[in-house]
Amino acid sequence: MNYIEFEKTDSTNNEAKKGKYKPWTVLVAKEQTQGRGKLGEKWFSPNGGLYFSIILPKTNINDLQTMTILAAFCVAKIIKQEYDLEPLIKIPNDVLINNKKVCGILTENIIDKEIKLSVIGIGLNTNINKFNKELKNIATSISIESNKKINNKKIMEKIVLELKEQFKLIT
Amino acid sequence: MKIRIKNKEYEVEIIDNNQGKIIIKVDNKEFEFSLEENKLKNILPISSVKKQESVKEIKAPLTGTISDIFIKEGEEIKQGKKLLILSAMKMENEILCTHDSKIKKILIEKNQKVKEGDPLIILF
Repeated sequence: MNYIEFEKTDSTNNEAKKGKYKPWTVLVAKEQTQGRGKLGEKWFSPNGGLYFSIILPKTNINDLQTMTILAAFCVAKIIKQEYDLEPLIKIPNDVLINNKKVCGILTENIIDKEIKLSVIGIGLNTNINKFNKELKNIATSISIESNKKINNKKIMEKIVLELKEQFKLIT
Repeated sequence: MKIRIKNKEYEVEIIDNNQGKIIIKVDNKEFEFSLEENKLKNILPISSVKKQESVKEIKAPLTGTISDIFIKEGEEIKQGKKLLILSAMKMENEILCTHDSKIKKILIEKNQKVKEGDPLIILF
């Protein structure tokens, strides 16, 4: 897997949109200073969590929408498989555990005459043990729910592999 | 009619006497011109003299909601400039300008819903 790791970046999706990377390159950051979800909502991205973006090959807009939904499915499947938890997919792009958000997905496309670039960004609360007042009732992490330390690289690789498989199936 | 040249206004009247001559009166001074029919035919009507503009539209590539606009009317923009974000099908789509141009008119507002093919921006 071709992946590039950043100690800290504003947002891995922003980095991906610079257009420097080939399809299926994965950009991962230990920390994001401006992690965000849809419509500019902030995504709490401290050290310990898993924040990565996958450059998608060129495809049509319907496939991209399907990929967004499938990404949530892939994340939920890996969480269930690896940590024996019961994640719930909040269609189209959130994953919850015990009704609290554990993962957010943001697909972004750059379009001029055609779709020039597509990136799927995934923020997964892995090793985050404490959330601030505003978030503690609505967010959780895999480590809180499973009492385990999570191997970020391993879970990321599994998610990316699963996504590649799904992409092959739909395109 | 009045014509303004360098901040000075002139009252101008054009009279065709139908005898092969045209009289142009400027502030009551008359200037007489003979008509050469063939040349007259080559004179373009005023509407055609106006500089030809190639108007181009940026249209919505898909149905969705305008979540951000990054340009202003009259702004000169380069190819690749981010014009707006169209949130659609649960994805955020950055719409870029396809060529160097100038924004003539913005037809949409933030949070406005648009349908695929709707004109969003008119460029010069």
